[in-house]
Amino acid sequence: MTRIFRLPSLGALLTATVLGAGALSAAEINVIIEEVPDYDVVKALTDEFMAENPDITVKFDAMPFDAMRDKILTSSLAPSATYDVIIVDNPWMEEFSRAGYLAPLDDMIAATDGYDYDDFIPALSRIGVVDGVTFGVPYYNYALGLIIRQDIFDEKGLSVPATIEDYVATVKELTTDDFYGAAMQPQKGYKIMEEWKNWLYANGGELFDENGNVIINNDAAVKALEQYVDTYNTAAPPNSLNWGFDEALRAMASGKAATMLSYNWMLPALNKKGGMSGDLAGKFTLQEVPGGKAVLGLWSWGIAANAHDKEAAWKFVSWITSPEVAKRRVIMGGAPVRSSVLEDPEVWEKGYGKAYYTTVKKILEDAAPLATGNQAEELIEIIGTELNAAVAGQKTPKQALDDAARAVTRAIR
Amino acid sequence: MPLKHKLVLPLVAVLSAVMLYPLAFSAWISLHDYRLTRLDDVQWRGLENYGFMLTEPAFQNAMKNTLAFVFGAVSLELTIGLALAILVRKMLRFQNFVRSILLAPMFITPIAVGLMFRFLLNSQMGVITYYLGKIGITIDWFGTELALFSIILIDVWQWTPFMLLMFLAGLEALPKAPFEAARVDGAGGWLTFRHVTLPMLRPVIVVALIIRALDAFKVFEYVFAITRGGPGDATETIMYFIYKTGFRFFRMGEAAAAAFLLVVVTMILVIALVWATKSNEELR
Repeated sequence: MTRIFRLPSLGALLTATVLGAGALSAAEINVIIEEVPDYDVVKALTDEFMAENPDITVKFDAMPFDAMRDKILTSSLAPSATYDVIIVDNPWMEEFSRAGYLAPLDDMIAATDGYDYDDFIPALSRIGVVDGVTFGVPYYNYALGLIIRQDIFDEKGLSVPATIEDYVATVKELTTDDFYGAAMQPQKGYKIMEEWKNWLYANGGELFDENGNVIINNDAAVKALEQYVDTYNTAAPPNSLNWGFDEALRAMASGKAATMLSYNWMLPALNKKGGMSGDLAGKFTLQEVPGGKAVLGLWSWGIAANAHDKEAAWKFVSWITSPEVAKRRVIMGGAPVRSSVLEDPEVWEKGYGKAYYTTVKKILEDAAPLATGNQAEELIEIIGTELNAAVAGQKTPKQALDDAARAVTRAIR
Repeated sequence: MPLKHKLVLPLVAVLSAVMLYPLAFSAWISLHDYRLTRLDDVQWRGLENYGFMLTEPAFQNAMKNTLAFVFGAVSLELTIGLALAILVRKMLRFQNFVRSILLAPMFITPIAVGLMFRFLLNSQMGVITYYLGKIGITIDWFGTELALFSIILIDVWQWTPFMLLMFLAGLEALPKAPFEAARVDGAGGWLTFRHVTLPMLRPVIVVALIIRALDAFKVFEYVFAITRGGPGDATETIMYFIYKTGFRFFRMGEAAAAAFLLVVVTMILVIALVWATKSNEELR
């Protein structure tokens, strides 16, 4: 009797084990991600996620920026995805969403308890919404701020420039034979566009007007470019025409420049004791860009439309972006995207101090992306090439912007 | 079907699959508005893509830069390669050692060469700029005026060894008798080189030129690693232009049209080179 009783239960146990094992190995999530400092934080946190969720394995394919776009494309065109979770740069959001590469997230967001989607800073979460559907949730911001050598400003009794005209005058005043007012990043393409668009905003310009007409060559834009070229010629290090943000950062860190327009999270790197700045650590502060409105960059988490297991993918994405984990990510050095995190005294204390997070919040509240639309990536390259040509002296500012306007008009056709 | 045709059939099938089909497909793409992000909306454009490319300043500029690069790099490589080959040939000792040292650059992958020179010539931290600065020479290697020339120099550094290799082989295969005859007739070094060595080496030179020119048309890695086509569009070459159009902007139709136009230009150049040697042989 006992033996007969035992046999089926053993069978049931075996079946349960086999099914259980099947479920255990079922979910493997592959994530394509850019290799940046924030990725190290995400990776460390993900180990905790996998410990809490033994049924889900998260694998990262971290790579340099240049390799990402075509890999996302090929994975999205394939019948079965290579990448279930995709990190999407803001210029790609509309293009990839409208091409059908990303899965809508609205229902999953609504069904997730305690997710508090409205806590994301609106300027950031808006980027993930295309034609009224949410395709991405914010991962980290790379909005631009003005980083200055506070000690030099204090010593010379200079105030932080509030307008672009003030800025130009200040950096010219600070420039000497071997010290430069501004470490600029006029590198062709993305970099110069990222920097110059702050100047465009300060002059009240934009790429398009409300009716969608190209206004990249209007008076405001020409003035912004003339100011930019003049500043490069008078207050930036010589032969820095190909500089990107890393060269500019190095110039700041080595004490060769007084200001730079760069990603807000460059400040902690510059002020780190024993870090790249040596004795200068602690002498840098973050300010809003002159004119107030800043260029906004954002990476978002998206789930591939052809992902193997969207639920498991969302479980991971919603965990890593949840209020609690977002807070820990920022304390560990990640760039903030949630209001609650920016206003949290514990974050101020364990992170980089109240002043830093308050300025970041102000920057994010008045910031707009570099370009929008299906062709955003192309527009940035087109305009960035013409801007660089103007700085190089190959074209006058007006000529360069007219050429940019012509090419942009054609590209969006 | 005769047996010989049957035997060649598998090869024809493989070649059709891996060469003819992709070529025909890309020709088809070049006649359409074919964007990778809009595959459900592919539209017939006819020759519009070709017309656009021919009138597009960016394409013309890329073609101009590429031609300048090809002529600049290949002629320098030819001259230096030939001079080195003659010198190495005359060496009595260490010839093999020198030969292997000189050939080394050729074996480095071009993207690594690009990255290497990007740092060596960097205006702030480059070793070369640093030591030039020490003796009072400041050169902005990747500024507007010099960028394309710097890229040419990098190509010369890497590919002159190929010319050297070809010419060494060519020189070694030349018959001895004409040189002895020239010496008996009292011809000096320059006369012998001009009227004996050069004409006999001509077939080798032409082959080396064609191989290098075709390869130089494909220049991409140095541009990608160092300048991304900048400053402005000063170093944008045709391959970088096609890459950008096709794989960054996903406009495959236009990229394919640009690629076919490049084929036409390359064909004209090769035919001209071959024709030049033929007419020369006929003259002889």
